[in-house]
Amino acid sequence: MAVQAEEAAPIVRAARRTRRGQLGLAGSLLLAGAAAAALYLVLAPLLALLFTAFRGPSDLLPFEPGAHWTFDNLVEVYVKTPLLSTVLPNTAIFVLGSVAVTFFTAFTLAWLVERTDLPWRTPIFTAVLFPLLVPGIVIAFAWTLLFAPNAGWVNVALRAVLGLDAPGPINIFSMPGLILCQGIASVPFVFLLLGAAMRTMNPALEEASSASGARPLTTFLRVTLPVLRPGVLAPLILATLVALEQFEMPLIIGFPARINVFATRLYFDLNPEDELPAYGRVAAAALLFLAAAVILLIVYNHLIRRAERFVTVTGKGYRPTRYALGRWRLPALAFVGLYLAVGAILPSIVLVWTSFSGGSTDSLNLDAYRALFADHRFWPAVGNTFIVAGLSAGLITLIGALLAWQILRLRFPGRRLLDAVSFMSIGIPSVITGFAVMVLHLTIPIGLYGTVWILVLAYSYRLAVSSRLSRASLMQIHAELEEASSASGGRWLDTVRRVVLPLLAPSLLASFLLLFIVGFREFTIPLVLQSQDNWVLSVIMWRLQADRQTAQAAAVGTLILLFVTPVIFVLRRHLLSRQGES
Amino acid sequence: MLTVRGLTKTYATADGDFQALKGIDFDVPQGGFYTLLGESGCGKSTTLRCVAGLEEPDGGSIVIAGQVVTDIERGTQLPAFERDIGLVFQSYAIWPHMDVFGNVAYPLRVQRPRLAAGDIKARVMDALRLVGMESFAGRQATKLSGGQQQRVAFARALVRRPKLLLLDEPLSNLDAKLREQMRFELQELISRTGVTTLYVTHDQSEALAMSDRVAVMSAGRIVQSGAPREVYGRPTNRTVADFLGSANFLRGRVVEAHDGVATVALAGGASTLHVPSRAALAAGTTVDVIFRPEDVTTRLDPSDGAIECVLERVVFQGGSSECQLRLGSTALRSVVHPSLAARPGDRAWIVLQPERCILFAAD
Repeated sequence: MAVQAEEAAPIVRAARRTRRGQLGLAGSLLLAGAAAAALYLVLAPLLALLFTAFRGPSDLLPFEPGAHWTFDNLVEVYVKTPLLSTVLPNTAIFVLGSVAVTFFTAFTLAWLVERTDLPWRTPIFTAVLFPLLVPGIVIAFAWTLLFAPNAGWVNVALRAVLGLDAPGPINIFSMPGLILCQGIASVPFVFLLLGAAMRTMNPALEEASSASGARPLTTFLRVTLPVLRPGVLAPLILATLVALEQFEMPLIIGFPARINVFATRLYFDLNPEDELPAYGRVAAAALLFLAAAVILLIVYNHLIRRAERFVTVTGKGYRPTRYALGRWRLPALAFVGLYLAVGAILPSIVLVWTSFSGGSTDSLNLDAYRALFADHRFWPAVGNTFIVAGLSAGLITLIGALLAWQILRLRFPGRRLLDAVSFMSIGIPSVITGFAVMVLHLTIPIGLYGTVWILVLAYSYRLAVSSRLSRASLMQIHAELEEASSASGGRWLDTVRRVVLPLLAPSLLASFLLLFIVGFREFTIPLVLQSQDNWVLSVIMWRLQADRQTAQAAAVGTLILLFVTPVIFVLRRHLLSRQGES
Repeated sequence: MLTVRGLTKTYATADGDFQALKGIDFDVPQGGFYTLLGESGCGKSTTLRCVAGLEEPDGGSIVIAGQVVTDIERGTQLPAFERDIGLVFQSYAIWPHMDVFGNVAYPLRVQRPRLAAGDIKARVMDALRLVGMESFAGRQATKLSGGQQQRVAFARALVRRPKLLLLDEPLSNLDAKLREQMRFELQELISRTGVTTLYVTHDQSEALAMSDRVAVMSAGRIVQSGAPREVYGRPTNRTVADFLGSANFLRGRVVEAHDGVATVALAGGASTLHVPSRAALAAGTTVDVIFRPEDVTTRLDPSDGAIECVLERVVFQGGSSECQLRLGSTALRSVVHPSLAARPGDRAWIVLQPERCILFAAD
């Protein structure tokens, strides 16, 4: 062992020396800069959070004069308050329930679209994507307009048909209502992941089962499902993570029902009615959920590694045989129709109508839009929304690609840490990020707090999206393509500019688009970090709704729909062309 | 022209350290065609990548055209892009986002100081003409066949007129017929440009047909090097004999040895041979007699000094047939004319040519 270690030592040094020679000064600085940025965007806020949890008293920032090390926050949160007995069970019921709803719906839809002869598959595929792009806060608002026990459209209609008295019959402001809403809202991205898994499945596996004499149902249960398992479990965990961090639905729908889940509980602790924010207690409560998320993340990481292996074994680019629906065609269409009605069509109609009618009067007018455009907060919010979404998407796409390149292609100390940092943002609930970034920037005096720029930084913690996409596509780019450039006399920057970037361009574009959409939808982070100067559209809409300016809120929602609709078609073309390639 | 001295390299792997190179020395003269031949994992590609500057050895030195590019003891290690080389990969590594012209022009475009666009164009077209691809200049790289990609890779490697051309199994991705054809084209191309070439392959027929000198590598060492005929006809150990062509092994014992000729009694008393031997072998030494299938004469009737075997199978191979024979427990192979009418189970008699046999002391 000792001999081996002695032999090994000079090799490591030698390898590093080569690389530095190959990279040149500019390259080394660029890569080191990206690594530092990743640590600042992801790790620094988390460390701030950790410090805050163990510093007291609770209403002081961790390094304010007077703060000291303490376990008071933990005792306060986990022993003296009903966190463990109310918020935790509520969160568990909410998460498990909504994931079940999401999964049932998304699996059925993906199955129908990818593997059956369902008619109008392409339009259905497009429509399913709709809630993916519309901010959750907009959909939540639209659903309250539809399903509120007294004035909700659907309830009014049902009462007229069934001859019932108000309120009801549907009460959205309840745990089942909350679960159903969240469940339906999360369908699109699970649908996309499951669809991809079903598409890359080798149909010969099922055909072999048929040829062995198995009936279709037997084949489905004994071959299809087991083969799909890694591709199904990974989205399941991801959906659980997403549900855990959900804030919009619990805020809009859970709050009137007096149901607190972890995300809303953190937010209300941070914004108490008539006392100072209790930073220490919020941080202490966040730790539990952060731990839960990290465990899920580790399981997820393990699963996608297995899924990747699975996919390599079976290959890709098959034209799966489609099941003939036969007499199940109508029920299938009814299911799809019901989902689309609740998830996309009715919310759109109710928003547009309310924005023009003012909610109560029967005459259509433009009053809400006039009032909105005259509001001095509105146009800056439009600008902020696009600036923050665009800048953060660009920033993380760049940093993520540089991170992925050095993690895959270089050997250096700290590589594993960087890999973990680039990945862990998937598991960090956005309400925690908002809070952690707040504490960090209240502590370090660089004057970003309360500006648009702090939103850019906070949004940019979603590094995992771009680093994962870049990594996947870098793995497709054979290292010899880069070595060929080096052997042709190209310096590192030549290689990056002329070989790596052009080959990576499609995935960089995809990553930018995806992150732009995520940033455009973002509500939790800008709400937690809000100030007079950095309102974005989703926050404006929520404030209008909370101030009972329903028509104006609906007008904001309508404008968002107007912007999002063409993007859906761009996205669909992108997704379908990727499908064509594979 | 190329001088490699004392090259060593160890990789840290999951199961401990793996010594890929255990001290490699060789020289390639100006204009020479030098081949590193060996099975996968023998270190031949690692050697080539060290010469290219894509890997850094742990020890040793490399000099290309008088320029020291690697000298680990002195801390010199030029990166690949500062070495005067052209490299063709096994996968060709043609950039899919550029057309043919763009791929070939790349080495000139990244050159500093910059070249004039007109010069670049002229030199790229020269290089494409050299490989017969001038009419494909505007073609997208992804729309090329394997053989065409290969030619583009050659044009790219030669376009900046490097001092040293490095070829890493360039033919192994082609189908058999095209490989044969490209082998001759490649030879023609290299002799026309006169570029010094280091070639890496696991295919012995390529190595024997193309090289001025062949170095057979095994387990991180060069086990024998020399002109192809010499290495093939006079292997200095079993590994080389076994790897280069198929070889038969018969166990025997030296009865007496003098004047460079050893008298060997084959095991089982099958026959006695008088074999010329360079090595001094004392009487009583157990030896392996090694001979090639094509050096065996096979008959279906006995003759003087012939060894009787059982014929197990005749494999028809077109221009010739291969006899699979059994002598006691030893399997032997011989090449015969395809007209030989023999059935499995027949008895056969083989005659060896003692002057084409090689003796090794048995381990």
